[in-house]
Parts: sequence; structure tokens; C-alpha cells
Amino acid sequence: MFSQLILNSIIAGAIYTLVALGFNLIYGATKFFNLTHGVLAAVGGYSVFFFSKTLGWNIYFAVVLGIVFAGLIGYGLDKFVYLPLRRKKASNMILLVASLGAMTAIQAIIAILFTSQFRTLPLNTGTQRIYEIFGGVITETQLVILVVGIIIMATLALILKYSMFGKAIKAISDDEEVARIVGINTDKIIGYVFFIGSAIAGLAGILIGFDIGIQPTMGLGLLLKGVIASIIGGIGNVYGGVIGAFLLGFVENFGIWKISGEWKDAIAFVLLIIFLIFRPRGIMNKQ
Amino acid sequence: MEYLIHLAILFAIYAILGISLNLVVGYTGLLSITQAAFYGIGAYTTALLLTQVGVNFFLSIILGIIIAAIISFFIGLVLNKFSGDYYALGSFGFNVIVFSILLNWRGLTRGALGIAGIPKPEIFGIHFSSNFTFLIIALLSLGIVYIVARFIVHSSFGRVLKAIREDEKAIQVFGYNTLYYKLAIFVISAGMAAISGSLFASYITYVDPSTFTLIESVFILAVIILGGLANLEGSILGALFLVLLPEILRFVGLPFDTAAQMRQIIYGVIIILLMLYRPKGLLGEYKL
Repeated sequence: MFSQLILNSIIAGAIYTLVALGFNLIYGATKFFNLTHGVLAAVGGYSVFFFSKTLGWNIYFAVVLGIVFAGLIGYGLDKFVYLPLRRKKASNMILLVASLGAMTAIQAIIAILFTSQFRTLPLNTGTQRIYEIFGGVITETQLVILVVGIIIMATLALILKYSMFGKAIKAISDDEEVARIVGINTDKIIGYVFFIGSAIAGLAGILIGFDIGIQPTMGLGLLLKGVIASIIGGIGNVYGGVIGAFLLGFVENFGIWKISGEWKDAIAFVLLIIFLIFRPRGIMNKQ
Repeated sequence: MEYLIHLAILFAIYAILGISLNLVVGYTGLLSITQAAFYGIGAYTTALLLTQVGVNFFLSIILGIIIAAIISFFIGLVLNKFSGDYYALGSFGFNVIVFSILLNWRGLTRGALGIAGIPKPEIFGIHFSSNFTFLIIALLSLGIVYIVARFIVHSSFGRVLKAIREDEKAIQVFGYNTLYYKLAIFVISAGMAAISGSLFASYITYVDPSTFTLIESVFILAVIILGGLANLEGSILGALFLVLLPEILRFVGLPFDTAAQMRQIIYGVIIILLMLYRPKGLLGEYKL
């Protein structure tokens, strides 16, 4: 039981990491809570469902398309909603409310196109290999989630640290106005940030689809977990998001040791509120 | 005719919710996205008291207000620590927690099954069992809430709230303890939302947790943003618009499930368009 809980915590942590990475990246560059982030996971999952099950295309091709499609939706939202709002110098609350509207609408569009039913993605479901580690059980898909999570994390960290693009993002995070003055095309960079962040969210949705299944409303739960992980880790801090995600995974899974699993969401929010009261800047952020 | 009465009752319920939320978001400038939680608390209080204990409907409204006020007092205490978008996020969280309690405390709320067979109001031997008589109660409640809210926003208390919205630091300098004011208006607002919940429970005769999700809070927010922040008549207008608008879809002949989703799309798109082109809403006096 104990080792199973640890494994479950790590897997949950890896999924939350993927959501928090993109969320933090976008928050860092734009400083607003992008509530559409979670629903893009559903966009990714349903794209794969559409391409692979409805059209019958190759599953790996469908996964790539799903990731790109989620990224494009995120990019489009920035171009047509958030960028015009930023140009008008709208407050963060306006951006937050606009993203709330976009979230509601996209979730409903998915539900109309694919019904609200629970769906599974095809990938050797049922015939999955299962590994045993210290008496705990982990499926092949979950192992893939873990590996992909680590790869994305490492790649993103390298890009942010060493590439020009990463440095530009850092400059925008520090001060968008100054970044623009020194010649960084901030609108373009932020557009890319939306694409990358949303694509990672789409990937998270796809992986969850393979592990558990997909539902139009899956995005909200994921968003909340991603936001909580980001805040307790240190908002806007990509590494903090990772730490927050794993902390959340552990607290959630050990929290339901003695009670029913349906309390997970409530436990996650209690953790958030405790952090907001006692350490609102999160684990990693200074000052 | 029955159909129009049905819409009018829904309008009254949402107008009350809108007015209550506007006091917090519009007048005090606190972006709260948890109104559906208090709506739900009112609904469940009435549902449980009427079916399990058998108290009078009107008494259950008052008890609903009291319970919502007590719970909102503690939620407000926590939320008072935040401002701006963190406030929105924290309130978001409380909506999820309340929803998850309604869904998972099966011993009390029967979970996802919900509570059925909630009786219609009656007092002094008068039964309000027809929809028309119920409409009278709903409109009366709306009237009372409106008058109370109007009194609040025009009082000196209301002026302090607006001052908090404009510049909290400045009003603190004048010696006002803004935390008390913010807490007070949050509790009042929750009590008003609970009235809506009681009306809803008795009118539909059935409650289940799915009515009181975050999406419902978003809808109430859409009502006040469309109508206009810091304008009570605006909230009434917003409720009228957003209750009637999706009904057009019914005449297009969409299946029930699709119509419900179409409603969400409309609300979502309206919110985005308002934020882009008219963040003050129709009659608003304040923008986020």
C-alpha cells in the first residue's frame, strides 16, 4: 500500500508538472492567470481521439498532430484575445475573466463535437504491460508519462537557460517594457510562449487520455492542479512549478490514505489556501 | 404562459444572484468567483430542512441565510488575506471545496443522487403550489434584495466600499478598518445568494451538486459583467438578457444536451467580447 501510494504520487506529480510547466511559462511572460490552460489538455486529448479513432490515422502521427493543434489553439487565443487586451493595457483581472470565458466556450464546443461521455484513447489498452516496483504497480503508460515528464522538464530548462529565446523570455518576465525597448519583439515571443505552453498542456491531456481516458471537463481539474502546483512552488518560476507539482502529488495521494479518493480536489485546495496564507510567494520565489 | 412564468422565476433567481455578487465584485472591487457555493448552501439548507425536518419554507430561507453567512464569514476571513487575481483564485478554490463537500458528504447530501421531492412553500394555510404564485414569492424576494442592496450602496457603508475599490490604502489612512468592511459585504452577499438557492430548491423541487459548480459561478459573473459592474439595475438587466438569450436556441430546435452546451458557448463568447470591447458592461460604472 505504502509503495503504491508513493508511485501514485510520483505519477500524479509528473502529470501536474507538465501542466504547471506550461502555465508557469505563460504566467512568467504575461503575468496573468491563464484559465484556458487546462482546457487545452482536453483539446490535445480529443484531437488524438479524432485523428486516430474517427479518421483511423496512425496513432503516433495523431499524437503529434494533437500536440501541434493544442499549441495552435493557444497561439490563436493569444493573437485574437490576449494580445489585443494587452495592447489596450487591460488589467490582469480582465485577462483572467476573458480566459474564463474562453475556457467555458472551448469546453462546451468539445462537448458538442464529441458528447460529454467518457472516452478512451487506443493504445494497447488492456494488454498493457505492468511493472512491479517494491510491491507497487505501475503501468507502461504511466512509465511513459514519467519519462516524458522528465524529458520535457529537462529540455525546457536547457532552452530557458541557454538559448536566445530563453533569454528573451527571461527579459520579458523581468520587464516587458524594457525588453521591447532593447529590441525584443515581445508580441512574437509571447506568441511562441503560448504555443509551447499550450502544446505541453495538450501533451499532458494526451498522456492522461492513454492512462485513464478523456472527458470535455477534464481540463478544469487539471488547470486547478497546475495552478496550485505553480503557486505553492513559486508562480512564474519554472523549477518551482516542478517542485510544487510533486509536493501536490504526494499530499493529495497520502491525504486520501484513510478517506475516499473523491476528496482529492478539496485536499489540493486546502493545501493551496494554507500556502496562500502562510507563504503566498511559494517555495522557490524569494523576497 | 407557463413557459413565460418559468422564465420569469429563473430571471428573479439570477437577478438576486447578480445583485448579491455585484455588491462584492462591482462595488467593493473583489473578484469573487464563488457565488455558486453560497447559492448551493441556500438550496441544500432548504432542501434538507423541508424534506428531513419539515420546517416551513420561509423559516428555511432565514436559516439558509444564517448558515451561508456563517460559512462565508470564515471563507471571507481567509480571502481577506488576498487581493487582485489571487483573490479570484482563492475564491475559485472555495467553490471547488464546497462543491466537493456537496458531492462527497453522502450521509448529509446524498451525493450525486441529489435530494428530490422538496415541497412548495406554504404559509398560514396558503399553498404556493402553482408557478404563478411562486413567481410572486420570487419577485417579492427580488424586490426585498434589491431594496436592501440599494440601501447598502447608498449608505455611508456603501461609500466606504467604493472607496476600498478605488484605493484601499487611502481609505485605511482615514482610519477605516477595511477588513471589516470587506468581510461584512462578503457575508451579506452570501446571505443574499442563499435566498436564491432556497427559491431554486423549492421551485425545481430537486437539487443535486451539479447545479453549483464553478461554471455556475462563471455564469453569475457573466450576468453582472454584461449588465455592468457597480450598477444594481445592470445586474437585473444582465440576468434578463442571459436568461432569455439561450431560450432563442430552444426555438431553433437543438436537442436538450446540445442546447445546454450552446448556452455555455454563448456565455463564454459574451464574456470575451465584453472584455475586448466593453469591459464596463451595458450600464457599468466601474471596470475591472
